[in-house]
Amino acid sequence: MPRTLPPRLRAWPQRMPRTAELRRAALALLFALGASGSGAHEIQAPPADFSAPAAGSYRLDRIYRVPEGAVVDVHGKAGTLRDHTRGRATLLSLMYTQCNDEKGCPLALHTLDVVRKRLAALPQARERVRLVSLSFDPARDTPAVLRDYAGPRVRSLPAVPWRFLVPASERSLHSLLEGFEQDVSRTEDADGTVAPELSHVLKVFLIDRHGWVREIYSTSYLVPQVVINDVQTLLMEDGVRFR
Amino acid sequence: MNALARFSARPLVRAALAVSLALGALAAPLPALADETCNSPFMGKLIKGQEDFVYVWTLGIEGMGDGADKLVTIDVNPKSPRYGKVIHKLSVGRRGEAHHMGFTDDRRYLWAGGLDDSRIYIFDVYSNPAKPKLVRTLSDLPAKTGLVGPHTFYAMPGRMLVQFLSNTKDHGGVTGMAQFTNSGKLVKTVAMPTDNGGDGYGYDIGINPGRNVMLTSSFTGWNNYMMDLGKLVQDGEAMKRFGTSMVLWDLKAMTPKTVFNVPGSPLEIRWSLKEGDNWAVVATALTSKIWLVKQDAGGEWIAKDVATIGDPAKIPLPVDISITADGKGLWVNTFMDGKTRYFDLTDPENPKQTFEKETGKQVNMVSQSWDGKRVYITSSLLANWDKKGEADEQFLRLFHWDGQDLSLAFEVDFHKEQLGRAHHMKFGTKAVRAAHAPAAPARVAAADAANR
Repeated sequence: MPRTLPPRLRAWPQRMPRTAELRRAALALLFALGASGSGAHEIQAPPADFSAPAAGSYRLDRIYRVPEGAVVDVHGKAGTLRDHTRGRATLLSLMYTQCNDEKGCPLALHTLDVVRKRLAALPQARERVRLVSLSFDPARDTPAVLRDYAGPRVRSLPAVPWRFLVPASERSLHSLLEGFEQDVSRTEDADGTVAPELSHVLKVFLIDRHGWVREIYSTSYLVPQVVINDVQTLLMEDGVRFR
Repeated sequence: MNALARFSARPLVRAALAVSLALGALAAPLPALADETCNSPFMGKLIKGQEDFVYVWTLGIEGMGDGADKLVTIDVNPKSPRYGKVIHKLSVGRRGEAHHMGFTDDRRYLWAGGLDDSRIYIFDVYSNPAKPKLVRTLSDLPAKTGLVGPHTFYAMPGRMLVQFLSNTKDHGGVTGMAQFTNSGKLVKTVAMPTDNGGDGYGYDIGINPGRNVMLTSSFTGWNNYMMDLGKLVQDGEAMKRFGTSMVLWDLKAMTPKTVFNVPGSPLEIRWSLKEGDNWAVVATALTSKIWLVKQDAGGEWIAKDVATIGDPAKIPLPVDISITADGKGLWVNTFMDGKTRYFDLTDPENPKQTFEKETGKQVNMVSQSWDGKRVYITSSLLANWDKKGEADEQFLRLFHWDGQDLSLAFEVDFHKEQLGRAHHMKFGTKAVRAAHAPAAPARVAAADAANR
């Protein structure tokens, strides 16, 4: 049964400025188009004029352990990030729904859409991989907002599930941001006016089934075939074979 | 006249040239690095407008101030009442041959290294960009990695790749790279290749993520870069030990693909930032050349000598280079003659020098703003290689570039200010502030414990 929001989350602002609502609606439409296969051209992938190294031909390092933190899913169900990063290889994107930088969260969402479909088509990979989008903007990204943002992704392709999560408290948010070494900032103009948008370096993390971060992608290297080969490389460590 | 004052560059140059010719090889070199247009392609938050601060990683001088290496912050915003002034000094409490710096991909932390003591300092330039804080010191790297002399600090997604210059076994030039998390946890080490033409030496790093390639260049080891330059050029055996290679790596696999023979100690690597371009340039210190690295019509990577810098017979000693944001121009500093030169790179196969000016008695680093209108220059190469006596100017100078001439806007005299030797520069901005006020220093300090 879905639980009620934790007190800290309930206390955070739930109202968005009108401009933000409009932007969110526009982005939701854009993502819906992208997810359905039309309009995918709206998001430009980083230039990548190379053949991704073959899966298993290289080694992925253990970079650091996934941090712990309390999270809530789109149904309001509380848990810990550990619940969503163990037992399968996990592609985790740190994001916020208001992000309108086409080289930021929209690019990650689009890329993960592509990667997910391809992984779901690989019998050896599906059932061994999941996706997670973790918001760092819990003041605005309530479970309901995340559910709207996720759209059909929550229920589609169950063999490669996609979880949309938000930290359950401010403490959890700080713990997760620090643990992932994720920057989140705001910019100000020459007059000292602080922009409402959050600024961050886009990061997507590949996590092995034991909870180790094994690769980190940012805008310049978020290439679907590279990501897919990395997932396969991880799975090959467990004896999975790909032709 | 004391021993230092007797030092003169001219006989040194002649000696270096003689040794070089006699050996049929290379001679004397130097280090350097860069600016806003040379940052890693993985770095966010590039400053494309007016920079607010310039951070100068400064070598301490015995008897000057506290004598220690320090990070000096200079206000460079012309709208500030403190424009052109030193606004902050952060001593690290010891001298370790301060050299180069590099930002993490999120521009929150500035890593700076000591070539002698092999320490890496991690400064928080995010909480208060006007007053950087030292949040962590990595002091056990030689024991942990077998590497000496951390030189280039290159941002990768969530990590820092550090190119070293030397090793713990013989303090020669065979070395490697080490990768760390942004908070300073060692992830792995990678040896420079010693087979298939590789000399094992290292210097700079340049990554082209769109081609999945990384370039490295080659300099020399601790034995040489810590030796007095006058003594070094008289040592025929030592003069043989300079890098002659560049390596093209498979970025993903972090394995060498091709080793290029690039004589004369290739140093700074600059990929063109123009979208669609697919080439990099490098300057060779000892042979005074610009080399181009590119893919040929068949897709093979090649390296070729495309231009000469000054008169190689006089060994002007090209040091730092700075490419314009549109990839059409290149600033080149030459240490010995104190000149700053501009090359038209419109045709990278045929760079043409279009401007030169003496900007100091000795110049090393050159850093330009994104719009190319401001050019910052510093003076120090290495403590034991800098000129002696009156020629040992130590400064940061800002020049304005109007496309025709460099005009001096201000100068900070590092001797007069009791600071030391001005080496590497990085730009800072006060336009970014933390949205969630993360406890960054605590996170950095806790990094190792959390990952044991």
